[in-house]
Amino acid sequence: MTAKISPLSIVVVVLICVGAIITISHFHPPGESQDVMDWNLTLVGNGEVRVLSLDDIKAMPSYEGYGGFFTTVGVVNGPYMCEGVPVEELCDLVGGLNASNTLLVSARDGYLMTFGSDQVRGHFRTYDPQTFREVPHKELEMILMYEVDGAPLTDYGGRPLRIAIVYPEDEGMVTEGHNWVKWVDKIEIRMPSGA
Amino acid sequence: MNNTRGSAPLMIPILVLVVISAAVLTAGCLFHQDERELKVIHAGSLVAPFGEMVKAFECQHPDVDILLEGHGSIQAIRHITELHEEYDVVAVADDSLIPALMYPDHADWYIRFARNQMVIAYTNQSRYACEINQSNWYEILTRPEVRFGFSNPLFDACGYRTLMVIALAESYYNDRTIFDNLIARNFDPQMRSTEDDRGAVSVVVPEVFRPHSDKVAVRGGSVQLIPMLDYADLDYVFEYKSVAQQNGLRYLELPPKIDLSTPEYGSIYQNVSVFLGFQRFRSVGIERVGRPIFYGITVPKNAPHPALGAEFVEFVLSEEGKKILQRANQPTTSPEVVGPGTPQVYATTVMNIGEMER
Repeated sequence: MTAKISPLSIVVVVLICVGAIITISHFHPPGESQDVMDWNLTLVGNGEVRVLSLDDIKAMPSYEGYGGFFTTVGVVNGPYMCEGVPVEELCDLVGGLNASNTLLVSARDGYLMTFGSDQVRGHFRTYDPQTFREVPHKELEMILMYEVDGAPLTDYGGRPLRIAIVYPEDEGMVTEGHNWVKWVDKIEIRMPSGA
Repeated sequence: MNNTRGSAPLMIPILVLVVISAAVLTAGCLFHQDERELKVIHAGSLVAPFGEMVKAFECQHPDVDILLEGHGSIQAIRHITELHEEYDVVAVADDSLIPALMYPDHADWYIRFARNQMVIAYTNQSRYACEINQSNWYEILTRPEVRFGFSNPLFDACGYRTLMVIALAESYYNDRTIFDNLIARNFDPQMRSTEDDRGAVSVVVPEVFRPHSDKVAVRGGSVQLIPMLDYADLDYVFEYKSVAQQNGLRYLELPPKIDLSTPEYGSIYQNVSVFLGFQRFRSVGIERVGRPIFYGITVPKNAPHPALGAEFVEFVLSEEGKKILQRANQPTTSPEVVGPGTPQVYATTVMNIGEMER
């Protein structure tokens, strides 16, 4: 017995195939690429060095909060729901941060930012995203983010690890974009120069 | 046999669909190529004039869609040199950055097309607004009740240029307390400014750069400082003249020997160097030397649409482009080609510029 295939069903199948081809050619699946799986974060402080994999970091207690930022020319991004690990807890793995320390956060692309210990503990200025006037905030947390709005970061968005300044409830405010370091691969506790 | 005969008519619609599918995919690719998308990355202070420039260029070229992206000048260049992204035009607020960071792999020429100068911006609400002038500004800014601000020298060229202006003011006004009164004493750790035997001044910015009182405000850039003036949170802000004008602010022009505007005073400006507290970019050193402020524009070597990029550069340099810049309060300059390379794609313009310069 031979099954008859109607022209209509062939048309449907072909259209589905074409749709699949177009979809595949325009979108990249969000799976973890090899370079992300091989990504390491180096922590340096108080004479100790620790290297953590992305899985090690994801195994730590996570922190979820809202955060957004603005660029040099006032383009606002977010707020997003951000998930990651508090940076202060990462510092604790290499002896902890004291008040006179500074924190150097460096990235694969050669970018480097220095933070004061008070910033690591959440002392940042927050701004109204419409007027860019400073607005008060409650609790802030500086985290090393690995998920945004429930998905891994995009490559342009700093995959796999990016600094984020977040707050527990969606208050709609934003912080300065230069603090949101992308592609973080090293965090180093230092005494400030001259100290 | 029957099956073979029956599959022949079926093959026709399949083949038609395959051809149509191929045509759709090919057309999609061709459509993208024909879109004539032009990507321009530029310094933050060019937001207003380049916004107008784009409207006028697109009006003349209806088939072109320009994507503008503003950043700090160093960051704009890094998108090309270190993040390996493709742009057709790059325009920065410090022309010396192009040879320093892009030559020879990413560019080998640029054109100076605009200039700027440092001013002190204020509003009618600013304390002593009716009193401030070129000879007393540093004394007014020192008064305890007066608050002033500038952008962070670690992130913004306008920030380290502010420190240069204040350091240059000490020599100009023959008053060695100006830097200490306005800057050094308001920061913890205190900032240092030292002068060597030959009169060269070095300003060292600490790696965590924050004032210890409300008298001085340091923010990432104009985006935050202008609202502080508008809401009277600050009385005065060091800014580019173009930015002050674009935001409808009053401003005090400073003497040309200290405002970084005039090439003739380049040897005076270069007496001051600012050393940043940390190397924010692996490829960019920490020393910034005083220079007259010139804007540079180029077409990167990896531009996806170099001819179209060159057309845009030509438009910026044209009489119409010049008028747009001037209407947006961006001071212009006679275009000058700099670098070993030749922007061949618009040889006519370059020839004309060459004639002008001679």
